[in-house]
Parts: sequence; structure tokens; C-alpha cells
Amino acid sequence: MSTLLAIPFLVPVLGAAAALLLRSYRRGQQAVAVVTLALVVLAAAALVRRTADGTVLTSQGGGWPAPLGITIAADPLTALLLLVSSVVLLVVLLYAIGQDTAGLSRATPAVFHPIYLVLTAGVCLSFLAGDLFNLFVGFEIMLTASYALITQAPTRARVRASMIYTVVSLTSSILFLTGIALVYGVTGTVNLADIAVRLGGAPDALRTVLALLFLVVFGIKAAIVPMHFWLPDSYPVALTRISAIFAALLTKVAVYAVIRTQTLLFARDDIAPVIMWLAIATMIVGILGALVQDDVNRIMSFALVSHIGFMLFGLALGSVAGLAGVIVYLVHHIVVQAALFLVNGLIRQYVGHTSLRALRGLTAISPVLALLFFLPAMSLAGLPPMSGFVAKVALFQAGAQAGGWLAWTGVAAGVATSLLTLMAIFRVWVRAFWGVPLPDVVEAGERLQGRRSGGALLMAGATGAMVALGLALAAASGPLTALAFTAAEDLISGQAYLQAVLGGAS
Amino acid sequence: MSEVSDEGTAAPGGAGTPPEGWEAPRERWLSTVVSPAFGPRSVLLEVAVRLLVPSVLVFSVFLLVAGHDRPGGGFAGGLVASMAFVLRYIAGGRHELAAGMPLKPNTLLAGGLLLSGVTAGFPLISGGDLLEVIKHSAELPVFGKVTFASYLAFEAGVFLIVVGLVLSVVAALGARMEAEEEEVRAGRRRRRARNKGGPR
Repeated sequence: MSTLLAIPFLVPVLGAAAALLLRSYRRGQQAVAVVTLALVVLAAAALVRRTADGTVLTSQGGGWPAPLGITIAADPLTALLLLVSSVVLLVVLLYAIGQDTAGLSRATPAVFHPIYLVLTAGVCLSFLAGDLFNLFVGFEIMLTASYALITQAPTRARVRASMIYTVVSLTSSILFLTGIALVYGVTGTVNLADIAVRLGGAPDALRTVLALLFLVVFGIKAAIVPMHFWLPDSYPVALTRISAIFAALLTKVAVYAVIRTQTLLFARDDIAPVIMWLAIATMIVGILGALVQDDVNRIMSFALVSHIGFMLFGLALGSVAGLAGVIVYLVHHIVVQAALFLVNGLIRQYVGHTSLRALRGLTAISPVLALLFFLPAMSLAGLPPMSGFVAKVALFQAGAQAGGWLAWTGVAAGVATSLLTLMAIFRVWVRAFWGVPLPDVVEAGERLQGRRSGGALLMAGATGAMVALGLALAAASGPLTALAFTAAEDLISGQAYLQAVLGGAS
Repeated sequence: MSEVSDEGTAAPGGAGTPPEGWEAPRERWLSTVVSPAFGPRSVLLEVAVRLLVPSVLVFSVFLLVAGHDRPGGGFAGGLVASMAFVLRYIAGGRHELAAGMPLKPNTLLAGGLLLSGVTAGFPLISGGDLLEVIKHSAELPVFGKVTFASYLAFEAGVFLIVVGLVLSVVAALGARMEAEEEEVRAGRRRRRARNKGGPR
């Protein structure tokens, strides 16, 4: 059982070392990276199967009992997110390999593969960490790798964007470390389960301050409005493979951390109204930003900010149904966002840019591309047969159940945001895909016909796989929702987690 | 006429290498042709580095081994060891750094990661926990009773990671920038010479 828990972060670290040693053999690096991620996917799938009934698996590093040892814990939420993240990481890696094989990328693969695997290790460790300090370490591994990735193939714009990104992330990390020190000062422990027990005796005001501090720390990383300004500036300029992973995973890891800390550590009623207002502001401000952008990548980045609000909304409800909605939404959003960014990458590859001003009639030159954009975009907006619809309905039902004017305001904001998202997407659709193709778009299409290599097919195939994954989520929404409810019940009661971490030790 | 004398004074103190003063040593104390990273050559610095580097390296190994129940460990030891290389770089410049490096920084990093990762994961094979310590005591002729523990291997991995990281930072931000700067300067000098020669 310990082995299963260790694989998701230990194997990528070893894989990164092997890829670093193999830096002159590109094929070898690619093979190592694919095998590593495939192993992580398998381990995550096994974890999902073991935790599906609500059990929490734990392992104590070094063999010391809970508050002293390095706790690693997997509850249903962790396992589910691990599985989705590792699948997305694998598909994006295949896209990157296709791009490298076709010789279409300026990134240096010799550096890319090891850092990508280190990023994987950081993401997995953040999900699995059972103490606050290990959560910090996981975040730092992930962020340090992301600083290196965002400046791959450096241009003036990328270096500028990465400066903003790095400074903002470091600020949040300093606050995080301060928060850990304060929590340690209050409780004398950094183990999450132990903190949850001991913080119960702390004064209310102190607990509120700590809860707000951690909300700000993870809010910066999750791009919650008013702390979102760095995201639409930095994500769109990175390479496609990298912005896809950033958009799909990094903010979601922060959302996971918000959920974990706010449900396990702090009493829910303390700051639920604050979270609700933040959720409403995030939804509305984000989507209004998306409506006035001219670049497909920037539109998607603002939509990403906006849809973080949906997850906060479910968290603020504080009910089992609300949290289950959040979990379904997380899973859906990771897949759909990755698919959309990969499609944008294909557009950028074919035409050379993603600016709406100079795009017209993409449907005419590549109907498949149009379909690949259309399906996840409709899912993002939440139209009925798609996974986005399932997730949104779950959230709105939970809101209606909770009642009260604040919850209804949140529901109204959510519906408005969905409609505005649809509008933003139609804007892209009408301007970029419909109409008579512009001359340079036609030219790009002709170039496309002449040059069809295995690498380009792999890129399109990986994008197609990601879109198909989104459709599969919609088809499997029954079991997914059931799993989400189990995970949400675990989160709300918290007993299973505390039992598994502390109970086994004493 | 004036042009020749101008070139004559410019050459020895040329923009690339700093001028040599009374401090410059007459013997060779370091292993390469020395062109320090900052300022002119100094006999004091070169002799001090020559004497210090071996003892610093030995001290770093002491820190690594002493780490389990006294201050020290792989991280501290690695930092001290990388300081030895930084000293050589400051005194002797990038050629000296390259001559002193046992392996490429990337290889050190990868080796350290592998060593630490394998040691951390090894107990899992026999059904133990992550990072569990395997101990073995032995009676050695000279040292008496000595305990070997698996955390020494883990710490040695950390040691290698730290050294590899510091060396790659020094190589990227110090040595490579120095090389690029030298290239730019050489280019500028060539251009200036051409411009000067052109009109006359």
C-alpha cells in the first residue's frame, strides 16, 4: 500500500534523473517520460479503485507514527485528481513528442523532459501530502519546474511574462511559509490531521485570520479575482504544451489546496460568505474580461479565471452536494481546459497566430479542427450532453438546496456566467471559424495539405484523445458523480481522514 | 604615427583581461592559465585558494558523515563542497572552474536524484515504509564500532544534488555570461579597429 502511494511522486523523480542522464538521446528521453507517466496513471487508477468506497489510505514516511512521520494520505478526492491529472499529463506529453518529431517546436527537448517529470512529481506530491509543510514542498517543486518551463524557447514577451509569474508566485510562497509558521506557533504541529484536532481549541478570531491567510495564499495561485491579474498575462505566451498543462493543472492544484485546508482545518461557517462573494466576483470579472479580448488564447485564459469561481461557489455552500459538484467540476474543467489549449496550439501551428483580427473561415480549410474546438468549447459553456452541463447542474442544484439569498445570488451569477461564456465562444466561432477564409488562412491550409507527417498526426491525435476524454466524462457522469459524493462525504465529516492518519498510530 | 602608439598602449591592458599589478603571482598556483572572474590576479587569493580547497572538501565530507546526530548533513556538506568550486572560479575564472569539475553539473544532479530516490524507495520493496532506515553495525579494526545506515546514502544523494545545482548556476550565470561578454567585447574591438582603419 505504501508502494502505491509512493509511485506517483517517486517514479517521476527517478524518471527525471534518467531523462537528465539521457539528454543526448531524444528517443530514450521520450520513452522514459512516457513509461514514467504510464506508471503514474496505473498507480492512480489502482488508488481510485481502492478508495472508491471512501477509505483513506495512509503511509508514514520513515516508519514513525503520525504527528512525527511524513504523512502521505490518499482519500477519494486525491485519488480521482491524481488519475485525471496523470492522464492529462500523459496526453500533453504525447502532443509535445509529436511536435518535436515533426520539428515544429523551438523548445529544447533535452531540458523539457526532465523538468516536465519534475513538475509531475510536484503536482502528485501536492495532492498526496498529509502535512502542511510537505504540501508546501510539493507546491515549490511544481512552481520551480514551472518557472523553468514558462521560459522555454525564450522571447522578449515570454521573459517579461515569466518575470510577473515568478514574482507573484514567490510572494504567495512567502505568505504560505508565514502561514505555516503561524499554524505551528498555534498548534505545535504541521501534520494536517493533527492541526485539525488541535486547532479546534484555538480562539475563533485566530482561526478566522489563519483561514483568511490560507485563502489568500492559495487564492493567488488559483487566480481568484482580485488576485488573478497575473494569469491572463503569463499563460497565453508560453509554448502550447506548457500553457495547456499550466491552465489544466496548476490552478486546480491550488483549488484542491483551498478545498483541503478549508474543509479539514478550519470551521466552515467562519468565512463561507467571504468565499461566496469571491466566487461571484471571480465568475463575473473573469468572463467580462474574456468578452473583450482579441486573442483566442487570452479569451481562454480569462474563461479559466472565471470558471475557478464555480469551484469556489460549491465550496462556499459547504454541503455534501456542493462539494460533490466542485469535484465533478474540477475533473471536467481539467480535461476541457487542456483540450481547448491544445486546439489553440494546433491553430497557432497551422496559421501562425491565434489573433481573432486575422482569422476567418478556419472551418473551410480544416473541418476536423473546427469540430475539435467546438466540442470542448460547448462543454465549457455547459450545453446539455456535455460534461460541463453535468457539473454545472450539480452545482446549481446544491445552491438551490442550500437556499438563502446569498446562495441564490451565486446561482444567478453562475447562470449569467454560463451564458456569457457561450457568448464569448460564439464570438470566437463566428470570427475565426465561419466566413470566407482570409487569403493567408487559405495559404496556411494549402501548406497544411502538402505537409502531413507522423509527428503532426500525433499532435492532432493527442488533441483528439483529450477531446474524446471530455466526451467520455459526460458518458461516465453517473459513476463519476457517485464517486464525487463519496469523496465529498469524506471531506465534510473529516472523520475517515483523521482516523486513518491518527487512529492507526495510537 | 599616433595610431601605432595608441594601439600599443591599448593592447596589454585590453578590454578583455584586467591589467596585471604588483599583486600578480610569478608562479603558477592553480591548474590552468588564470584569468580571474573579477578584477586583477592576486597572489594572496590564488595561494589561499590553493591551500583552502582540499581542506574545504574534506570538511564537507565530515559534515556529510557527521550529519545524523550532530549539525551537518548532505545539504550543509553539499553547500560547503560547492563553495570550494566557487572559490576556484573566483580566483581562476571559468577555465579553472571547468578544470576542477569532476563531471558535468547535470550528471551530478541526475546521479544525486537517482541515489536519493532509490534509497528512499528501497524499503518499499520489502514491504516497509518510504524512507525507512536500514542499519547495520560492524566492528572495524581501527575505528571500533561503526554503524552504517541507509540515510547516509540518501544524504550523499542530497550532497550531489546541491553540488550539481550550485555548479550549474555558477556555470550558467557566471561562466557562460563571462564567455558571452568576452565574445561581445572581441566583436566590438574588431569593429572599432575596422572603423579606425576605414577612413584613413
